[in-house]
This record gives sequence, C-alpha cells and structure tokens, in this order.
Amino acid sequence: MSKDTIIKVEDVSVSFWQNNVGVYSLKDLIVKRKNPFKNKRILNDINVEIFRGQSMGIVGRNGSGKSTLLRTIAGIIKPETGTITVNGTFAPILAIGAGLELELTGYENISMLLALYGTSNAATKQEAIDKISEFSELKSEVLRMPVKQYSSGMVARLAFSISLANDSDILIIDEVLAVGDQGFQAKCMEKIYEIKHKGKTILFVSHFPDDVMKICDTAILLENGYVTHAGPSRDICDNYKQLF
Amino acid sequence: MGYPVRKVSTNSANVQNIDRIYALSKRNVILRYKNSFAGFLWGFFKPLLYLLIFTVIFKQRSGIDNYVLYATSGLIFWFFFSNSTSQSVSSIIGSAGLLKALNIPSYFFPLSEVLGELFNLLLTLIVFLIIMHWGGLVYDLRLLLIVPCVAMFAIFVYGLNLLLCSMNVFFRDIGIIWGTIQPALFFLTPIAIPETDIPTEYRTIIVNNPIYFFIRLGRGIFYNPEPPSSQLWISCAIIALSMFLVGQFVFNRLKNQFISAI
Repeated sequence: MSKDTIIKVEDVSVSFWQNNVGVYSLKDLIVKRKNPFKNKRILNDINVEIFRGQSMGIVGRNGSGKSTLLRTIAGIIKPETGTITVNGTFAPILAIGAGLELELTGYENISMLLALYGTSNAATKQEAIDKISEFSELKSEVLRMPVKQYSSGMVARLAFSISLANDSDILIIDEVLAVGDQGFQAKCMEKIYEIKHKGKTILFVSHFPDDVMKICDTAILLENGYVTHAGPSRDICDNYKQLF
Repeated sequence: MGYPVRKVSTNSANVQNIDRIYALSKRNVILRYKNSFAGFLWGFFKPLLYLLIFTVIFKQRSGIDNYVLYATSGLIFWFFFSNSTSQSVSSIIGSAGLLKALNIPSYFFPLSEVLGELFNLLLTLIVFLIIMHWGGLVYDLRLLLIVPCVAMFAIFVYGLNLLLCSMNVFFRDIGIIWGTIQPALFFLTPIAIPETDIPTEYRTIIVNNPIYFFIRLGRGIFYNPEPPSSQLWISCAIIALSMFLVGQFVFNRLKNQFISAI
C-alpha cells in the first residue's frame, strides 16, 4: 500500500442470498432439506485503488452493483472473498433519507444520528446541530416537526446536512442530488467542491454524467458486477453513454 | 479475509459504542409511546388493567392468599418479556435505513430494544412496588435480589430476540407467528392462576416452560415466604446462558446477509 492510498480494494467478490424459486413451503425446507436460498454474485473480482484527495465516480446501469460496492467499501457489507484496506474514517453513506426515523422530529433525528455517527461530546454536538440547521435552511419550527411530514426535498436537505456535519476523511454519495430544488442542488455541489478542495476523498455514484465529470477526476464503469472500464471520468462517462 | 481498518483506538471506539447503544435505546423509548396521549404511562397502565381484570375473575376461585401480590409479581415480568420480544422481532427489518447507511453492528438493534424495555420495567417497578406494598409486600433487603433476577431474565430475552429478529429477516412468518404464540405462552405460564389449577397431564409443559422459571424466581422475591432456592437461581442462569448462546450463534450465522434481505 503506497503512502497516499486511502482505499484499496483487492479481488473483492460479494454474493447475496437469493430466494431459491420453487422452495416455498416449510415442508420442502424441512423434509426435503432444500436450501431456500442460493448464492448470487453481485460483485466479481473488483480491484480499485483510491488515493487520498481523489474523487472517484461510479457509473453503471440500475442493478449493476454500484450501491453494493459503496456499502462494501464502507464496511457495511462483508465481502465473500478479497481484501479491503481503508486508511481513514467514513461519513455515513449519503442516500435519500438515509437513516432518518420518520416518526421522530428533525431535532430528535439529528441528535440520534450524531450519536450514531460518533459525535457525542456536548459542545461539538451543539456546534454540529447549529451547522446542520444553518446548512439545511430548515427553520427550527420545521425541525420540531416529525420527519414524516417533510417533503422529499426537505428530507434530502436534512439527510445531506447531517452527513456533512461529520468531519471524516471519506465522503460517499449515493445518488442523493436528484431530489431537492435547484437552489439546494447548487449549494450541495458547491459544498462538495469545498470538501474536495479540503483534500477529502469522495466516492460519487450518479446517473448524471455531467455531475460525475464536474466532481470526479477518475471513474469506473460497472456492468453486471464487473468493472469494465476505469480511467479519467470524461472517458468513462463516454463509455457509459454508449451503453444506451 | 481482510476487513476495513479504521484509525480509532479501541478505548474510544468502546465509548462511542456505548453512546450509540444509548442513542438507539432512547429512540426506542421515545418511539414506543409517540403520539399517544398517556405516553409512557401505558407502560404500567397495561399491567394494571390486566391486574384488575384478573382480580375480578380469578381472585375468588383461585384460593390464593394475597392474590394481588401473586398476580402482580407474574404480570410485571410477563410484560417485560412480551413487550421486548414483540418489539425486537422486527428490529432488524425496521432499521434498514440505518443499517444500509452506516457501518454499525447489527446486534445494537435487538440489544437497544431490550435496554429500552428495561427502562420501562424500572418505571413500572417503581409504581408497582407501591401497589404491592398495599397488597402486603414488606420492604426489606430481599427486594434487592430483583437486580440479578432481572439481569438474568434480560439476558434470556436478549438471546431469544437475537434468534427471532435474525430469522425474521429471511422468514417473515416468524414475526406473524410470534404474535400468535404469545397468548398461548401467557396461559402456559401460571401468572393469574396457581400451578395446581393446571391439569396434571399438561403440568410437565408448565414446569419446563423456561419463562416460568423466571416468573418463579420473581415470585420468590415478591410473594413466597421463602426466598428462591439456589437450585432455581442456577437453573435460571443456565437457561439464560443457553438461550443467549443459541441466539448469538444463529444471529452470527445470518448477520452478513441482512443487508441484501432487508
């Protein structure tokens, strides 16, 4: 592992259990001892190396394994084979509404998620809450409402702001910018640039090649669980567009 | 096989984990009675209502001295068991959002359900200690035995929760069946009626019902003139530990596949 490598993924394969069609009854399960699940490969022999401060885009069609790759890198999914070496800390994966509890209010969610992300110190916590309410532009009366009453754009604002409040080395963004109004989208892009310029590492999944080219230096193209192309983001986005 | 390596010292990681479990338990306590008018008061309204019903129906015919104390000592523990298992059974499924976004050990979810329910049990106990005093309970040092008793019961319940919530991810029938089995378990555990009222041919089931061991332990503290025998303590410890190990084993076998199934 060279000095500035922050994430190294070597020969990683991931499989999920899938319902074995045809085995439905408990009788089959117990009497015939059929396995109700079969292994399905989601990722095959993935090799990726990401350097500190690099922004890497991941593109591919629906179901090609993008989210699974992100989760595997973040340690949420254990790989079946292969090695992942990470030399830094992760912010929680930014996905739409990630981890927000709909019944709880905005403030209760912020407080719970900050503790789960590892910000427990009272002073830093208050500072983080201020930052979150400022960045999300949600008024305190809104933050006192249960999240289930929010519009999808407001949910995205809150989730995005909470994830960014965490000062970690690696930011993972899983198609979150699609919701939220244009103003907030622009603000998020600006924030992502800022994070990038601070020398943080970014993993970015998006279906919009333009966004990928704007944010990422390099990119990979996933097809059916294989990395078929890797290189400068401009070239990879061209490859991606040719898929359609 | 390698796992992601993080630059946190074990000590601070442990502190962080305690904070995380606390945050989740707090969430559970808030969520349980959210949007209900009486809020956490339901924690003891429910057993209180059962106590009233049982007193009306069974007091005369059961022939038990101090019926209020007898029924209460069973009901408190039964509700701890019933509430925390029925909440926990869907704890993994219900936490899909968090589990998919954050590298957080999945056992935190069933564990925080038990801890949240322990907090409710504490509130319930405080109120019921007053009711039981009126029912004839003498306050003495023996009541302190409640601490190891509840601790062992909680380990048993946690083990069962690990089993239920992990299997429920793959066989959603578990969650449905569990709601149906509970009333049966309730009546197979002498809570409102004396053991001797159960027909002899079914008595073996009752005597071997693991929940009843813990109820007997609680009765030994609150109701019986004699404190629980050391034999009963040992049996409860063995049951709690075995349930914990079985739950842990099944949970660990299944946990790596949670993400794809929730």
